Amino acid sequence: MGSPILFIILAVVAIGSALGMLLSKNAVYSALFLILNFGTVAVFYMLLNAAFLAFVQVAVYAGAIMVLFLFVIMLLGAEESEQAIRQTGWQLYLSVGLAVILVTAVVGSFLTGYGRGEPLVGAAVTPQQLAISMFENYIFPFEVTSILLLVAVIGLFVMSKKIVKKG
Amino acid sequence: MVVTVEWYVLLGAVLFTIGALGVLLRRNAIVIFMSVELMLNAVNLVFVAFAYHLGDINGQVLVFFVMTVSAAEVAVGLAIIVAIFQSKKSIDISELNTLKG
Amino acid sequence: MNTFALAPLLLILPFLGMLFNLFAGTRLVRQDAQTGERWSGWTASILVIINFVITVTLMSSLAANDYHAIIVPLWDWFAFIGEFHIPWAMQIDTLSVTMLGVVTGVGALIHIYAIGYMHGDEGFARFFAYLNLFIFFMIILVTGNNYLMLFVGWEGVGLCSFLLIGFWHDRKDGVGLANSRAARKAFIANRVGDAAMILAMIMTFWTFGTLEFQPVFDSAVEMFTSSQAVPLFGVSFELGVVLSTITVLFLIGATGKSAQIPLYIWLPDAMAGPTPVSALIHAATMVTSGIYLIVRSNVLFEIVRKSEYLLFGVISTNDLVALIGASTALWAGLIAFTQWDVKKVLAYSTVSQLGFMIAAVGMGAYVAGLFHLITHAIFKALLFMGSGSIIHGMEHGHHHYVDHHRGHNGHGEGHGHHDGHDDFDPQDMRTMGGLRHKMPWTFWTYIIGTLALAGIFPFAGFWSKDEILAHASWNLTALPDQWIYPVVYALLTLAAFCTAFYMGRQIKMVFFGEPRSDVVAYVPESDWKMVMPLVILAVGATLGGLINLPHFTEASYKASKDSYGESNIYLAMEKAVEHSIESFHLTETGVVSMPYTPTWVQMTVAVVSTILALIALLLAVFVVYRTKPEQATDPDPLQVSPLIKYPWAFFATLPLDTLLVKGFVEKLFNPFSDWIAMRVDWDFWHDFVHNNVIRDTFNTVADFLANILDPKGVDGVVTGLGKVTMRLSGLLGLVQSGNVGNYALGVFLGLVVLVTYVVALGWMQ
Repeated sequence: MGSPILFIILAVVAIGSALGMLLSKNAVYSALFLILNFGTVAVFYMLLNAAFLAFVQVAVYAGAIMVLFLFVIMLLGAEESEQAIRQTGWQLYLSVGLAVILVTAVVGSFLTGYGRGEPLVGAAVTPQQLAISMFENYIFPFEVTSILLLVAVIGLFVMSKKIVKKG
Repeated sequence: MVVTVEWYVLLGAVLFTIGALGVLLRRNAIVIFMSVELMLNAVNLVFVAFAYHLGDINGQVLVFFVMTVSAAEVAVGLAIIVAIFQSKKSIDISELNTLKG
Repeated sequence: MNTFALAPLLLILPFLGMLFNLFAGTRLVRQDAQTGERWSGWTASILVIINFVITVTLMSSLAANDYHAIIVPLWDWFAFIGEFHIPWAMQIDTLSVTMLGVVTGVGALIHIYAIGYMHGDEGFARFFAYLNLFIFFMIILVTGNNYLMLFVGWEGVGLCSFLLIGFWHDRKDGVGLANSRAARKAFIANRVGDAAMILAMIMTFWTFGTLEFQPVFDSAVEMFTSSQAVPLFGVSFELGVVLSTITVLFLIGATGKSAQIPLYIWLPDAMAGPTPVSALIHAATMVTSGIYLIVRSNVLFEIVRKSEYLLFGVISTNDLVALIGASTALWAGLIAFTQWDVKKVLAYSTVSQLGFMIAAVGMGAYVAGLFHLITHAIFKALLFMGSGSIIHGMEHGHHHYVDHHRGHNGHGEGHGHHDGHDDFDPQDMRTMGGLRHKMPWTFWTYIIGTLALAGIFPFAGFWSKDEILAHASWNLTALPDQWIYPVVYALLTLAAFCTAFYMGRQIKMVFFGEPRSDVVAYVPESDWKMVMPLVILAVGATLGGLINLPHFTEASYKASKDSYGESNIYLAMEKAVEHSIESFHLTETGVVSMPYTPTWVQMTVAVVSTILALIALLLAVFVVYRTKPEQATDPDPLQVSPLIKYPWAFFATLPLDTLLVKGFVEKLFNPFSDWIAMRVDWDFWHDFVHNNVIRDTFNTVADFLANILDPKGVDGVVTGLGKVTMRLSGLLGLVQSGNVGNYALGVFLGLVVLVTYVVALGWMQ
């Protein structure tokens, strides 16, 4: 699972980039911070012996999806917004309060030893193993996923047609 | 000190919370969408950590499916945002209140 | 060959006729009144005529079948509610076929008559639709093989009665309102009786576990012979007690439908309907269903008689039935004296004659009651249709008179005050007089009807009325310990006297003397469609006695008794109907003891009643109404001491003149009859009891329910619930701000609560 120092450095980068995404006024900066975050997560995957997922993370997430985001942001010219934080008053306090509670609960459970077990040393999962599992045990969900993607493509065609108002 | 699965769970929780705060607090629909992706990633990270911890490959398979679905979701979601922008000339989420009952 | 398979047609045909008139007929009449009326009226009439033909074939089939009842099952009606099993089946026996003969025979003639009478009416097809529907329900009533089917018909004819009394509910000038009030009154008065019917049926079912006639009677006989007790409400009752209750409830039902004391009040008002309706429903058929009910339940009534159970220790049900019938007969007969409306006289007369029948069946003279039912149906339909012909003629005469009148004066008076809606009442006998020259056919047939109703030998009414009186007088000596027979005999004899008197009064005022209004000169005779049924019924009223002609002497009866069963003209109906009246067989086996009805003429009774009737007729025609009233405004001579002006005419020769006229007629009888009619019947019974006691109590209760309990209580709860829901949804609506951020916040809140809960669970362990 990697050395604690490496973990802490990566964790700081991940949290920092996430906060950067949250707090940037400019949507383009948010997207760039998120790419950094995704890259960090890809490194975590490497540390966890999930090489295939790490590459997919970089290629699909940090690559394709985030490019799509940036493309849309720039297409719409929506990068600047006067006020990044929309919520005010009780909604803001409630959101932050709930967030604190959530983190506290998890941290608390961590500190009190809830669910703590002996660390196991996981075996490296090769792409072959993953593929075998996917095409043997998960062949049906895999095919359904392809249909899902097909539906998404058709949906995109429908959505991207100009809305013609009748009459 | 050894890195255990709890560390990853903690990191995932923090990332998830930040993502949630982004969904809750930001005005820009695209940023909200990105926050959703962050939350998915936080969960994915925890999945992979547990897969490693338990020596179970199914966690990784699940992450693969989440990625596929989120790719489709992003494609459709961004198209929706574009459509909304075309009709409303804005992607400020607080102006999208036609659901008011 | 038997024709019982044709029985369902009896129901199908009038129903088809109703549908035809409801859907096609109305349209046809609207398109072209002339041909439309022909199609609508004749379709309805011919279907009923076919029904009559079927009835005749059923009669002959029954005779061929040795008069054994046949059940024609159509389908299972209730077969799924536990032990509650009711078939929809027609019971074809001599009793139901006899009733069918009346319904379809008289009904067919009245249908034809109505084609002429309703000519030109806007609701022509609607009228025939109702008439056919009525025939349909009446046939259900008389052919059903169980009490529930009987009740379906019972309610159905009530509905048709309501619809037809209020047929002209849309007339202008408040007449329509009065018509609908009359309809409502009839309906409500009938509901009282119907409630009792329902209770009776429930008790019958509790006691016998079925509502089919034959099983009910069989198990009643079996329980009675084995002295079995009836468990009800956890208590054991004697069968006599239970059956007394059931029969009293049947009696209440019959008083409603057959217009007996105390529920007779609706029948005079029911005359608001068109005259064919009065003839068909309110004289010949529907009002007799109470008698049919009692005759049909004769086994139950006879068991009650045998069990000698007295209601409240005072009177047995049978005696109560007889007493109510006889009192109604006299009571309504007295009221008829003071009526001016040509139809109201006949209405009270109908109440009175129904009283005769009820009295007869109460005394156990079922065949005699049924016999009177048939003859009465014939001659009362004849009289009503005659009166309809008169009214029709008076209306036409009035129109001609108005036209003529206006033709002469029209130029001078621009206002035209005759618009056909003046105060002229075509039913007021005071505006008639001298009509015998104008309407000869109506006159002669009406005279025959009157003689039949008055009970003059040899017309139909003589035989049937005489059989009832003979029964009373026979048992007066045969059962000397029964006080009911002398009482009923006296009441009915008096009622017979009254009958003859008011009929004499009526024909005198309508047909004889000088015309009392100018209208009479313009009255035409009615057309053949109206006269033809009158003539047919007049033949029936003359020869009707033949259907149950008694032997003239006891010797003749005894002689034929030895060869009983051979067909001869004597007692044809009795022989047939006996097969349906089980009490005859039960009397032979000694289970019950039905009072004996003599089957030969009781000479004393016949002579007394005939002489009384003749006296009454002559008294009315030649003495009391000899000259008066001369003008339409003259009061009833009966009310102003008739014999003062011509004391020599009748009583003058008697030294008792002063005593009789001054003392009895003027001082006692006039005030008495006036008192009964105006004070007791109208003021007290109609106005005070019905309006004040019943109506006001009902109104108060209804007012409380409608204005206090319903809006404050029931509505309060309902609207309160609604208001609470509104408030809550208003509160929840605040949540639906449309701000999706808030929704997401809600989801997040839920997530945090969930996670915290799970973590807390861990801490707990």
